[in-house]
Amino acid sequence: MRLVLNTSLAIAFAGAIQVQSASGALSIPAGPAAVIDQYCLDCHDSDTEKGDVNLETLTVDWTAEQNQHFWERVLEVVDAGEMPPAKKKQPSPAERSKLVTWLDSSLTEHVAFGGTQPRRLNNAEFEATVRVLFDMREFALPLGFPPDPTVHGFNNLAQGLTLSPTLMNAYQEVASQLADSLYPPARPKPEPRVLTAGPEDLVLSFSAAAVFGDSLRLASRGNDSVMRSCTWPSRIEITRSGTYRMRVSASQFRPKSEAPMILEVRAREVAASDRTHVPEFRLLTTFPITKESPESVTFEADLYEGQTLLFRWLNAEMSHEPKEFAAHMKAWFERDSRMLAAWQKTLYPEMTLKSMKGHAHLRGMNGWKIITGHFVNPDLDMRHATMESPLTRELLKFLGTISGGRYTFADALCHYYHDNGPSLQLHKVTVEGPLRLVDSPKDKQRYARRKSLFGKDPEESTETYLRVALTRFLPKAFRGPVSAETVGHFVRIGMHHWQAGHSFDEGMHLVLRKVLLSPRFLFRSIGTKETQQHQLAARLSYFLRKAPPDSNLLKLADNGRLSEPAILKFEAQRLMPGGHQDAMVKDFTGQWLDTNRLPQIMPDPKFKFGENELGIARVEVEQFFAAMLRENLPMTDFIDPDFIYTSPAFGKKVYGLEFKGDARKIVRHTIPRGGRIGGLLGNSAIMLTTANGVDTQPVLRGVWVLENIIGMPPPQPPDDVPALTPDVRGATTPREMLAAHTKEASCAGCHKRIDPVGFVLENFDPVGKWRDSWPNGGKIDPSGTLPDGTEIKHVVDFKHWLTEHVELFAQCLSEKLMTYATGRVPNYRERKEIEQIVLDNLSESEGFQDLLLALIGSETFGTQ
Amino acid sequence: MILYFSLNKNVASLSQNKTILQQAQEPNMKRRKFLRAAGVCIALPYLESLAVPVSASTGPRNFVAIGTYLGWHQNAFYPKETGTAYTMPETLMPLAAFRDHFTIFSGLDHRAPNGHNNWANFLSGHTPKQYSVDQMIADEIGGKSRMPSIQLTAGAGEGAKAMSFTKQGIGLPLIQRPSVLYKRLFPSKSDRARTEYLLRSGRSALDEVTVDARQLQRSLPGSDADRLDQYFTSLRAVEKRMGQQLEIINEPIPRPDYQLPDYDPITPNLQMEAENIFYDLMALAIETESSRVLSMFLDGLGQVFSIDGRALGAGYHGLSHHGNDPGMIQDLIAIETAHVHCLAGFIKQLQEKRTANGKSLLSDTVVLVGTGMGDASRHSNRDLPTLVMGGGFNHQGHLAFDPKDASTPLLGDLYLTIMQKLGMEVDAFSNAHRNLNGKFS
Repeated sequence: MRLVLNTSLAIAFAGAIQVQSASGALSIPAGPAAVIDQYCLDCHDSDTEKGDVNLETLTVDWTAEQNQHFWERVLEVVDAGEMPPAKKKQPSPAERSKLVTWLDSSLTEHVAFGGTQPRRLNNAEFEATVRVLFDMREFALPLGFPPDPTVHGFNNLAQGLTLSPTLMNAYQEVASQLADSLYPPARPKPEPRVLTAGPEDLVLSFSAAAVFGDSLRLASRGNDSVMRSCTWPSRIEITRSGTYRMRVSASQFRPKSEAPMILEVRAREVAASDRTHVPEFRLLTTFPITKESPESVTFEADLYEGQTLLFRWLNAEMSHEPKEFAAHMKAWFERDSRMLAAWQKTLYPEMTLKSMKGHAHLRGMNGWKIITGHFVNPDLDMRHATMESPLTRELLKFLGTISGGRYTFADALCHYYHDNGPSLQLHKVTVEGPLRLVDSPKDKQRYARRKSLFGKDPEESTETYLRVALTRFLPKAFRGPVSAETVGHFVRIGMHHWQAGHSFDEGMHLVLRKVLLSPRFLFRSIGTKETQQHQLAARLSYFLRKAPPDSNLLKLADNGRLSEPAILKFEAQRLMPGGHQDAMVKDFTGQWLDTNRLPQIMPDPKFKFGENELGIARVEVEQFFAAMLRENLPMTDFIDPDFIYTSPAFGKKVYGLEFKGDARKIVRHTIPRGGRIGGLLGNSAIMLTTANGVDTQPVLRGVWVLENIIGMPPPQPPDDVPALTPDVRGATTPREMLAAHTKEASCAGCHKRIDPVGFVLENFDPVGKWRDSWPNGGKIDPSGTLPDGTEIKHVVDFKHWLTEHVELFAQCLSEKLMTYATGRVPNYRERKEIEQIVLDNLSESEGFQDLLLALIGSETFGTQ
Repeated sequence: MILYFSLNKNVASLSQNKTILQQAQEPNMKRRKFLRAAGVCIALPYLESLAVPVSASTGPRNFVAIGTYLGWHQNAFYPKETGTAYTMPETLMPLAAFRDHFTIFSGLDHRAPNGHNNWANFLSGHTPKQYSVDQMIADEIGGKSRMPSIQLTAGAGEGAKAMSFTKQGIGLPLIQRPSVLYKRLFPSKSDRARTEYLLRSGRSALDEVTVDARQLQRSLPGSDADRLDQYFTSLRAVEKRMGQQLEIINEPIPRPDYQLPDYDPITPNLQMEAENIFYDLMALAIETESSRVLSMFLDGLGQVFSIDGRALGAGYHGLSHHGNDPGMIQDLIAIETAHVHCLAGFIKQLQEKRTANGKSLLSDTVVLVGTGMGDASRHSNRDLPTLVMGGGFNHQGHLAFDPKDASTPLLGDLYLTIMQKLGMEVDAFSNAHRNLNGKFS
């Protein structure tokens, strides 16, 4: 049934069967030989070789893999009735069956399980492996690292994961960086420096600060991002972690009371995002500022590499916290009705609620200028300046929101405090040092990592140390047992380096670089019979967890027990993903259902479908898949479930669903079965990735469904077929345009399969929203006839048909999962095993998780 | 990570580069003549341009792209008049002295949808994160220098992680610290000693790794073992490359007498400071033939600039959402004018510096200034303000196109003209397949 091989592959295989192997060749039994002779050799004899296919042979060497592929292809086309072609003499059903039965039994007998070739870790696996091995959660491959190729829809297939000099180069760079992070190059002792910053060297961010002559004024406080209430000297960046002596000169500006102003000093990373919240930076000290003339405070504190100071006025009168800000303004308005009127006029130019026109332009100083302009205007409308006015109520409500309070009017009001006080003034900051070096948290983390990887650093660089350290480290790095001989090679690398006069750190740096370049680290599916259990551990773990095997798995592999069915099942259940954020769920759905492509799709502006919506569309799919797996739901629920994951806002916009809740929160919502919405078909993300953001392309959707839902991908179209222009203008509908094209006999065969499943989804626009007509107004006719003769009127019929034939979908998904898990496309024999598993699952009314567990317990999964 | 810098392509020394370049010039010239002629005949019958003698030896050899995250306020960037007799618009005032050396383009864009993320299509054409024009150029001419291309960012906020994308669509990392760029361009003795140490030690230990890998290979069944051959081939290639790097590691590299500040201006508020240093270093990179293709991304966040002693009313990003408020627009223009002021310093240096044959670096360099954001206030990606400077073009003042006319050329068409001017045989870029040679050459 499957058409896997295209013509060029057939050509490649055609030559091979001409070569008769001396040994292992078996005769073709008389029955099938007669069928071939009578119905095939007209075109496929050694003279004509139509399509470069030659069937004129007496024997088949079944041990040759290319022969297996070749005869499997013969089986497929004969079984599907594609050969002999319709215009030629047709074999009787019995004759056809004779050939098919012989091929089926020969292939089942001779095709062996397994065959995944050694392959390198793909980029996601490499990252996850490094994170686990070095306990380095922050590790990511550098921007610019060569991407993995996608083969058969997945980026983790052995066929695609080849090694190239470019990639090796990139691995070498990464290895060097990792080694640097554990054993950084020695640096000379630093000379102490004195760094100074005046007001002009302090950052002005939003309205947090302003400069007046020789002072910088801070006006407000807040616990949110530093950018709204703090300042920092951006030209000071500590280059060596150490103890420093700081001197800060500060004063009060128009204080309202005797109480001291409290200046808080923290340490911030210069390169950190300004969105970082204040409490995330380490507190160094606080001190009172009591005078209106500059006073200096000196203190010592540790500063680490990359840091500078951060200043905040801890007890400022005005807060950026929306609730506090609104309360502050309420009290102010109660005292000062003119101020209230000015604010009303600023937000509501016509003094009506409706006259509010955006507020982005009211941010910061501009907003303050507008307010003061109204305040001093003698004609200011004071009629609404009471606390009872609806304008006041709405104004205060607005000031209590994040966008209205913190982001807009609080920034504006800062300028009042800059101009009139009270504010806290900074005059000069001096940082002197390092007085002595200290270990930063990063340094300490580095020592801890070294210790847990290799044991305590020794007094001297000895062979004994290195051998013990590597005997402990290498089995983790190589994900399996490591011989003394292999340990010896890496010990010698370090020893030679030390003997040549290099330091302990340099020797370890070198060993580490080389470990990370060893094929034992870089490759998976590599190993001998002795390491089968460890291969299985790696396969299971990278499949379900996208990470290297943990100690449990390795221990079971060491003891040779992992392959015991009960243990394997237990471990698979233990590692089974269940949440929508689990790496396997995101990674597998991203590739199987192409949701990885969503960020590249740019829906036409008319759909009002932006980055947020694309993000929700993706999460919907992940939530759905995770629920199917976690709850062990029947396979038919993939097609026609009684629930959908969406948010109230998105559900309304795209699916026309009305339900209550937090508009943006994705929740599980119950829907009736047998409708248009729900399930994979008609899901927004899938309708998006099978269109182009602007219009739908029924042929592409049809091909996608055949490939990813039904599991019968059509062969590649001939090169000379022009793209179907999807934009439907005038009277020509896509269906009419396609009709002309599919009159060609060569096209008709495949389009008979593609078109009905493509057109039946035409009711979903490029973002997945239901429509009854095309953009040009033409009414959509989604009906069609499936290849088995079933008439379908619309998508509901098609979903019904799919649930009736759910074995097709279950087989398709199982093969995708198996391909993804094993890194190879399952062969004939393996597909037969999968078929049996699928049929058992369906006949026992089991669920999706049962299916996955059965697949993991299969010979296909368990064979390298 | 130095994947994309000098190491893989610096095999040929500087003196060899020149020979390679000269050898390459003849066929280039012919190809370009053909392309120009084709462009002229097919697209726009502008016969004068045929009369301009074209010779690759006089054509530009360098390309610089400058992109702002928050766009350029159109009313202050576009002149009111078209053609050469225009009044210098406010934002471009700092460039007044160079008015014969640049052309202002209005009305061009990539016909791409709107949104902040789509910004990333500035150099990539219709679809963000596709093969960018600077990388197309780098792949063709960049390899003739030590660093095939350089990507920089000033005022790092959150705008974009990359502005340049390789043929495979990989975003290239942006250098944020002037000290890092300086080190790459002009490594000191100790920098080079470290590189040499890493190369030598790495090479010396390869034997043990290879022996161990061979043992692994021998333990594998036939076809699996064959598969490991890739590993050895790659390893040998890396070893060879290390050897080549070691051969040239001590060849002289120019060490200009340039004084960096003792800190890196990496915070958003020090954007102009970083910009000025990067412009200085870019001019030096071109002058020393260290790189031919450079780009700089000018990010924008909430930083409040003080310009001419006056603190602006709001942060850069806040001002870009001006909602047509005149006060905010005035401050936004002040920032953009300050960017152009930095740019003018760069153009001045390029005009003063000379190539070996006495030509100014400005006529040897195409400088593209633009953005992927047409109007940040609305997040519109239509009608992208663009400048092309230098490059030996016959500059046209203000070339205005109607952004609403469907037949208006694409910004990509201008990129094709630029690439052809640089001697490249190319007739398609993203969604563009025409060129502007008829109007601008």
